[in-house]
Amino acid sequence: MSPVVRLLVKRLSISVIVLIGVSMLIFTIARVIPGDPARIALGPNATTEQVEKLRDKLHLDEPIYIQYGYFVRDFAKGDLGVSLYTNRPVTTDIAQFLPATLELVIVAGMFMIGLGIPLGIMSARFRGKAADNIIRVISLLGVSAPSFVWAVILMLLFAFFLPLFPIAGQISDTLPVPQRITGFLLVDSLLDGNFRAFFSALHHIILPAFALALSGIGQAARLTRSNMVETYDKPYIEMAQSFGFPARRIANRYAFRPSLIPSLTIIGLDFAAMLGNAFLVEAVYAWPGLSRYGVQVILRKDLNAIVGTVLVISATFLIVNIIVDLLIAYINPRIRLAERGGS
Amino acid sequence: MSEFLLDIRDLKLGFKSYAGLIEVLHGISLNIRRGEKVALVGESGSGKSVTARIILGLLQEFSTARISGSVSFEGDDLETQPLSVRQGLRGTKISMIFQDPTSSLNPVYTIGVQFQEVLRRGDVQISAKQAEARAIALLEDVSIPEPERVLASYPFQLSGGMNQRVMIAMALANEPSLLIADEPGTALDVTVQAQTLHLMRDLVERKGTSVLFISHNLGVVREFADRVYVIYKGRLVEHGRTSELFHSPRHPYTKALMAAVPRITGGGIPDIAEATDAYLDPMIDHEAEATS
Repeated sequence: MSPVVRLLVKRLSISVIVLIGVSMLIFTIARVIPGDPARIALGPNATTEQVEKLRDKLHLDEPIYIQYGYFVRDFAKGDLGVSLYTNRPVTTDIAQFLPATLELVIVAGMFMIGLGIPLGIMSARFRGKAADNIIRVISLLGVSAPSFVWAVILMLLFAFFLPLFPIAGQISDTLPVPQRITGFLLVDSLLDGNFRAFFSALHHIILPAFALALSGIGQAARLTRSNMVETYDKPYIEMAQSFGFPARRIANRYAFRPSLIPSLTIIGLDFAAMLGNAFLVEAVYAWPGLSRYGVQVILRKDLNAIVGTVLVISATFLIVNIIVDLLIAYINPRIRLAERGGS
Repeated sequence: MSEFLLDIRDLKLGFKSYAGLIEVLHGISLNIRRGEKVALVGESGSGKSVTARIILGLLQEFSTARISGSVSFEGDDLETQPLSVRQGLRGTKISMIFQDPTSSLNPVYTIGVQFQEVLRRGDVQISAKQAEARAIALLEDVSIPEPERVLASYPFQLSGGMNQRVMIAMALANEPSLLIADEPGTALDVTVQAQTLHLMRDLVERKGTSVLFISHNLGVVREFADRVYVIYKGRLVEHGRTSELFHSPRHPYTKALMAAVPRITGGGIPDIAEATDAYLDPMIDHEAEATS
């Protein structure tokens, strides 16, 4: 078995264990917080019998471990139960709302990597000079305010005072929504060949994605810079300089790649953390994503939907982590070649 | 053309700091003829390595460095020329070998990739295939068995001695006229160090490359160099042909340096007197005396 496959198998099995733990934890927490979900779902006018009937249907009167048993049994069939808020299967709800959020997070991730890392490289290459100082101030600014603050500021600046971008929403109201194929609006409109819808969706996503990405951009730039500055002191960089390798090539290749290994894990975690931060950014931009759904179901103590939403977010977190681990293994020959005994 | 390949005159180096200018080199003059092997000997912190870096133009990039004096290479005064000219010399006309070969090679690129980058310094147009063929030939020159395997390896997969051979091959790849060896192989086992030094000497003698050999190891210097400069605290204190200098060291510091070498025949760690003002006595130049 190649070392990369071994790594993959190991990480996947750990992820399954983590997911089981998360499911138990969130299952219990959702049930022990005060409030009767059946009563909240049915409203104050429902009779006690109606409430009792729903409690019975949801097995709420049985011990938690028995309830968890029911959950596992249904989960094995791909059934996460019915949401008391939308009265639809939780899986249907998630399938509807998750793509918009993932789309937002992925575009934000592209901003984070596409802007944060090059800024960090530039900062390290011109360390101590003006460009470095400017980039450091900008990235500190990005890190120092949470993304929902940036969401409001950017919306005010670039949608309200200077109407370059739409205020809210995912696509222009006047355009017909493209046929739903993957659920990702950008992808669907392209598959549909509907470029007007595509550019409208792109136009709508830039501001919220940038707001969501700002702290990540700052963090990625700072991490890349600090790791690269350390790398610049290594003998192999002096060797590259003494052999006259061009400064730009030294920065982009010979100093950057060894520095990427320690940065990558944290950048990956930041990327996954955007899934949580997206909740507030989505609220500001009226983005029809999972977070609005998530907030609603938490407020309504919609047990099945809470567990379903949390599990999906944890799973995404774990998948991103596995991808990062694989990337590190690819970049770091010591891991990639570990199996061959260094010969 | 001047008699000397490299001619350094009254080189001074200082670093500006909050406490004022800290002088590191107090005006050193040294020269190297074509095909000559010259050693610069002194303790750590004496200014050997910064001299090498000034020749390459690496220190000039620090905004705090204050450099004066002249460094002439192949008859041109480098100090009056833009940094891009020096950058152009690096890896082509002048190349360098470092103390620890393994940490001087980039850990995340194969030897082959790094070798190609070095060869591209000499010939921008070189193709990957040509570069590989050339690298194989050069690695064979430094007696590396299975050069193809070495090119596909990462530095951490090779022994220190092997990496040192790779460094030597890279340093000589573009047929430089000056090779600067900064304490080469100090990080290696003495036996491996001896082997690679032999190899380096054979190659530079064959190719007629001049060498500036920077070391604190007198034994190695004696075997390797034609002429020796002794440096102490940023000042040259003694200069002469290797045999002369080793037979009759006259400067108090040179004498102390030679007394400090432990003998393999025993006698324990030599007793060395604390540094005295005598170490700062004026320079003794055997060569100048011989010609005057």
